[in-house]
Amino acid sequence: MWKNIYLWLDERIGFNDLYANLLDRPEPKTTWWNTLGSASLFLFVMQGLTGIFLTVYYTPSPDHAYDSINYIMEGVAFGWLIRGIHHWGATLMVILVFIHMLRVFYTASFKYPRELTWLIGIGLFLATLGMGFTGYLLPWNQKSYWATVVGTQIAGTVPFIGEFTLKVLRGGPELSALTLQRFFSAHIWIIPAVLAALIGVHLFLIIKHGESHFPTKED
Amino acid sequence: MNDETKKQIQERYERHLDKGERFWPDTIFKDLIMSLGIFVLLLLLATFIGVPAEPKADPSDTSYIPRPEWYFLFLFKFLALYGQLPLIGKIEWLATVLVPVIALGVLTLIPFIEKSPQRHYSKRGLSISIMTIMVIGIVLLTLMSEVPTVSEDGSTLLGTLQTIAGIFIPVIAYFLLFVFKSNNRLMVWTTSLVAVSMILISGTVLALAPEKKAEETEVATTLVDQIVAGQDLYSVHCVECHGDDGSVAIIAGVEGLEGEKITPINSRDVLYTITDSAMYEVIAYGRPNAGMIPFGKTYGGELSRSEIDYITIFMRYSWDDRFEAPEVPELFPPLAEGEVPSYDVHIQPIVKRYCISCHRAGKDNNNYLMTSYEEMLATGDNAANNIIAGDENSYVLQTIQEHPILDENGEEIISMMPPTNALKPNVVDVFIRWIMNGMPQTAEEAATLSVTPEATPAP
Repeated sequence: MWKNIYLWLDERIGFNDLYANLLDRPEPKTTWWNTLGSASLFLFVMQGLTGIFLTVYYTPSPDHAYDSINYIMEGVAFGWLIRGIHHWGATLMVILVFIHMLRVFYTASFKYPRELTWLIGIGLFLATLGMGFTGYLLPWNQKSYWATVVGTQIAGTVPFIGEFTLKVLRGGPELSALTLQRFFSAHIWIIPAVLAALIGVHLFLIIKHGESHFPTKED
Repeated sequence: MNDETKKQIQERYERHLDKGERFWPDTIFKDLIMSLGIFVLLLLLATFIGVPAEPKADPSDTSYIPRPEWYFLFLFKFLALYGQLPLIGKIEWLATVLVPVIALGVLTLIPFIEKSPQRHYSKRGLSISIMTIMVIGIVLLTLMSEVPTVSEDGSTLLGTLQTIAGIFIPVIAYFLLFVFKSNNRLMVWTTSLVAVSMILISGTVLALAPEKKAEETEVATTLVDQIVAGQDLYSVHCVECHGDDGSVAIIAGVEGLEGEKITPINSRDVLYTITDSAMYEVIAYGRPNAGMIPFGKTYGGELSRSEIDYITIFMRYSWDDRFEAPEVPELFPPLAEGEVPSYDVHIQPIVKRYCISCHRAGKDNNNYLMTSYEEMLATGDNAANNIIAGDENSYVLQTIQEHPILDENGEEIISMMPPTNALKPNVVDVFIRWIMNGMPQTAEEAATLSVTPEATPAP
């Protein structure tokens, strides 16, 4: 019976085509430096999964955010582990994405025909920083509150549009419940959606052009 | 780029593919190992380092030194150093907007700026050198982010060194690199020398930096810890007027509020009708018209948001019959026969709960402060008599056993302590044993004085 199910699916999906197009591809010789991109993708998936678990208990309001995090850490079974992974995953992801970018720069992999992959990559880097910035506020503790105060203040120094940007980020002149609400929304909906879409294009381009080889004397 | 070059690039790539590997299983295998390694690293970090507990956000606490996330620290430091520069240092947006936007813009558009199709390192000296110096600068600025630009004695040496390593040397280096851009050897030398000097100067800054004071923030995360923290805070700030069980209806023994009628705060009237957030406001703002001072930092008091929350939690779990209190550990471990108590394990928690309320700076207490071991032994108008090793006439021992101290004329100079409620016998016993055995400070000192071998003082 399994065989029949397999055949039925194969007829409709075409496993052989998938295998030939996605997996059975030639690549130039790769090293460990080439694993940083997929490692970043892995971290994105981990952040997504642990993040979804966290939203089950987290409440984005100044009255309850701190206590709900405390409950996750103390009351929920393995809540400390989920939050620990999410917390450290964020740090690691920023580091990995940055090193990945440096690798691409030093091997000049951004050159023809991979210029668009680089542009998308910059978008991914900025979105990752955006995730870090918005996620940092959510625990609503002293550290996160004041970090967001200084972070948004910097946006406020832009000439002409600074005050407007500051108000958009904070949802008013001061950091408030509105700020928390919109950072939460950006953190779990807006930026992840952008990230996922960009990752899709990034991957498509990588499969289309293949990984670049390490430059030799003749390049 | 013309079609000829494009074709060449493609052909070269094909040749590398021929000598290469298969995506499945070769490349994927490495990727999976890397991801697995990262997963294990995450588990280790989450388990053994975890997420440090922080106190709740307190917008009114202006004494808190704000810091951005660690990966923005380099920018923060750059802004601080930039602000020190003469003249342009005043134009903030140059550093907060213009420099980052240019840097990010160049980074984004690099495929269109570095247009030559050449990829080998030897043909990209300029961009590789600039990037290397920039990355080293970012790492060093991040490492130096905690070092102040102006030392406590007013010296700006550290700030100057940081500005040299973080701004001047890199800027000079970029300039030199553009001059040398056709000579690889000169660029390598410039980059290496610049990198070494930046690292050396930053190393000096880090070595000279004043040692960071460990910031002490007590954060209670478990319910039991929160209740205990709340009870300690309640004992310090609330007991004088409300009594240790919150039942006081007419204030007695408090200067200025003598005979004031108040609602017992352990009553259902209060606990059932005042929500946690209203309770927060009452404690933070006080009831100035009824004589209650503000306790929240927002209104000039001493308590942070978290601390007021702990007090509320303590009140709920102690007096509100809708809350079932968890088992709270005893204030101090019970003493075995012949065991000598220590300051660290026994006396400190007792003093914190029953004495500090009055015996701290700014209260009417004959200048006798009890917030540390040294203070307990050496402060006060009667410092010589308060605690005398091995003497049961020590004022402390007399007063806690309800024997007020009298002067020659029989006038009371020190009343019984605590003034309203006598301590429980087992608490008094701890004090007697401690003073009669010479006031040991640590558990180890106390253990050597104990006469029972099986007595095991808690660490």
